[in-house]
Amino acid sequence: MKKSLLIVVLVITTVFVFAQTPKRGGVLYDYWTADRMIFDPQEDTYLQTYAMARLLFSTLVRYKGDTLELEPELLAKMPEVSQDGLVYTFELKKGIKFHDGKTELKSDDVKFTIERMLSPKGRGASKWLFEPIRGATAFMKGEATSVEGFKKIDDYKFQIILAQPYAPFLQNLAVPAASIFSEKLVTTAGDNWRLKPIGTGPFKLKSHTPNTEIVFERNPYYFEEGLPYLDGVVYRIIPDSTVALMEFEAGTLDVVTIPVLEYERIKKTGKYNIIEKEALNTYYFIMNLSDPKWSNPMLRKAMALAINKQELAQSLYGPRATVAKSFVTPGIPGAYSLGEGPAYDYNPEEARKIVAQLGNIGKVTAWQSGGDTLSDANVIIQAMAKEVGIDLEIIPVERAAYRQARNEGKIPATYANWWADIPDPDNYIGVFFGKGNQMSSGYSDKEIQEMIEKARVEVDPQKREQMYRQIEYKIVREDVAVIPLFHLKYLLATQKNVHGVIAHPTGITLYLYAYKQ
Amino acid sequence: MIQYIIRRLIFSIPVVIGVTLITFILLNVVPGDPVLEMVGKYADPQTVQQIREQLGLNDPLIIQYLRFVFNAVRGDLGKSFKTGLPVSKMIAEAFPTTLKLALSAYLVAIVIGVSVGIISAVRQYSFFDHSMMIVALAGISAPVFWVAVIAQLIFGLKLGWFPISGYYSLKHMILPAIVLGTRFAASIARYTRSALLDVIRQDYIRTARAKGLSERAVIFIHALKNAMIPVVTILGMQLSGLLTGSILTESVFAIPGLGRLSVWALSERDYPLVQGVVLFTAVIYILGNLIVDISYAFLNPRIRLQ
Repeated sequence: MKKSLLIVVLVITTVFVFAQTPKRGGVLYDYWTADRMIFDPQEDTYLQTYAMARLLFSTLVRYKGDTLELEPELLAKMPEVSQDGLVYTFELKKGIKFHDGKTELKSDDVKFTIERMLSPKGRGASKWLFEPIRGATAFMKGEATSVEGFKKIDDYKFQIILAQPYAPFLQNLAVPAASIFSEKLVTTAGDNWRLKPIGTGPFKLKSHTPNTEIVFERNPYYFEEGLPYLDGVVYRIIPDSTVALMEFEAGTLDVVTIPVLEYERIKKTGKYNIIEKEALNTYYFIMNLSDPKWSNPMLRKAMALAINKQELAQSLYGPRATVAKSFVTPGIPGAYSLGEGPAYDYNPEEARKIVAQLGNIGKVTAWQSGGDTLSDANVIIQAMAKEVGIDLEIIPVERAAYRQARNEGKIPATYANWWADIPDPDNYIGVFFGKGNQMSSGYSDKEIQEMIEKARVEVDPQKREQMYRQIEYKIVREDVAVIPLFHLKYLLATQKNVHGVIAHPTGITLYLYAYKQ
Repeated sequence: MIQYIIRRLIFSIPVVIGVTLITFILLNVVPGDPVLEMVGKYADPQTVQQIREQLGLNDPLIIQYLRFVFNAVRGDLGKSFKTGLPVSKMIAEAFPTTLKLALSAYLVAIVIGVSVGIISAVRQYSFFDHSMMIVALAGISAPVFWVAVIAQLIFGLKLGWFPISGYYSLKHMILPAIVLGTRFAASIARYTRSALLDVIRQDYIRTARAKGLSERAVIFIHALKNAMIPVVTILGMQLSGLLTGSILTESVFAIPGLGRLSVWALSERDYPLVQGVVLFTAVIYILGNLIVDISYAFLNPRIRLQ
């Protein structure tokens, strides 16, 4: 009896362990709604390019699993940081090979990567990542032939010296745009590089059929033992998300972003794995403080009180959305906790009173990025504004024209969203309200902008967090320069046999640990 | 005939120049900076300026346009801003797919449209005629993306007869060809019906019947050939339309054709690619119309090409 019981226990344990052990092999099918056509994350900052960069390339440090905690990737250990927060000492893992199986990663490649991004003759679109390095500004202006703050110690060790302390510097290095390239391979490839990338990442590019599919296959030289589990990843290009869901239900896609209206139905089938994950984003309504009408703080406050965020979020995104009380997404060091924050709550009576005090303000304008007709969000916002007596006209503007106007500070107001690149308040506050911002906020409070500069270089983490909370309070509560509306969760579905998919808060789906059972 | 074709081609040159000039002006008048589209959300003015210089966007507009014309005459449509690939290569890769889709849809459209049109005309006011004309009206009115999604849902997902989207084999072309083709079939059916009705009321048809010819011979030998002249005009225009205007079908079915390439080029403000696609499209239209005109002479020798 005891013997049979033991056998049963052993069999169950074996089955359970087997079921949990990642299986090697198989190809995973995902999709994009558009083809970016290039693979150089230094040149293209779209999420697709970043996601592909995580397959093709590696960064010095990366996020651990689905957390915001950093861990070494190309480094042997986390870098040592000097007391004054200026000197970072790095050591690369030895023997890391690029996809060609011959070229070894060395310190010179890191230097090359940094200088390629900052080059005044290059197309680096994310110079901000390496801008804190000493001498970066002079190099960018063409006044220096190399970046002063990069010191090579030997082939595997180097130091990076910053111009002034910048706490989130290591997070900058985890952004896919900071992927490390090979000097030799990039130089040899010339103009072909953007279409034929060679990295140290877990997968290499096998083929790209424009507007059809991008095929990645396992990198046999990948430096992490046993990884990746998958033989390959294929991104199909399917412009319509409804069609993508059909493909998923037909079993020809392994992963899909669930359209909100289909969420309950897909979940109820019980046929798929559902991944829900908080992400670093805020959907907001921003008003340009240099606009003749929106420059009135009372009008901005009335607008903030007029929007029923709960209703807006629920009707647009259902279970995907969480009402925002702050602009910086909760979970980021220095952000307010979820459910707390300086943003105004819905109060239509108070909004009506303010509008009555303002008298005849006439029509106020906002823009919409793209589309022939107003989006659902803008229709709702417009109706809510009307409820309290604000005559809000929303004009759809073609995407490229909208982007240009935003950079030039010409958008009067807009409903939009921000997906952060790094989990740091500066990536929200500094980008939107700092000096020389290009987000059409029209924000110009010198005292606050100086405080933003100080917070950026503050070394004491607690003091820094405190400073950002104060700044955000002033911007969101007192100046009402932006109305945080809601945060959006990741909502992915995978086939039942797909495991190990990581939906990272930065908006990137990672397949390093993914496998098909 | 050859002289006529050469003359028509020479007359087309101003049309092509006009089309490229208008496109060039529109691209530069419409707001939206191609470099900002390339650089993305962290565009710094220095990088933007540097790339503008590299792409020749800082040159005066007239120089930019003349450079395009000069290169285009030599067969060089330039390089895509975004990918750096030759525009002609990108068009050459996308066009065959669009051509296959257009020809398959065309076949569907002609077979269904002409057959339905003939039967409806011959059996005017019958149940078949009424029901087919209602279906044809619905076919013309229904948005192509709606028809496409319904077809994908029924024949792709539920029945599993055809792939839902993508283009990997000819099998992937069947559903899009039917969706696109039936739409054009609807209008062809209506044109064929009305043209044939006009012809079968003519005296020579009455004469043919009086001579004792079979109804089949009257319709197919005497009536149809003359009735086809207006239909051929529509067919010619529709082929050009199919080749250049299947954007929605290509998007819904994820087919990598010229339509999607042009939408992509426009959204990225990839000027050389937009210019190249427009030029190519204009040439297709001109050639399409020329073929239609030539075909008139074959259908009715009384029409002389002058």
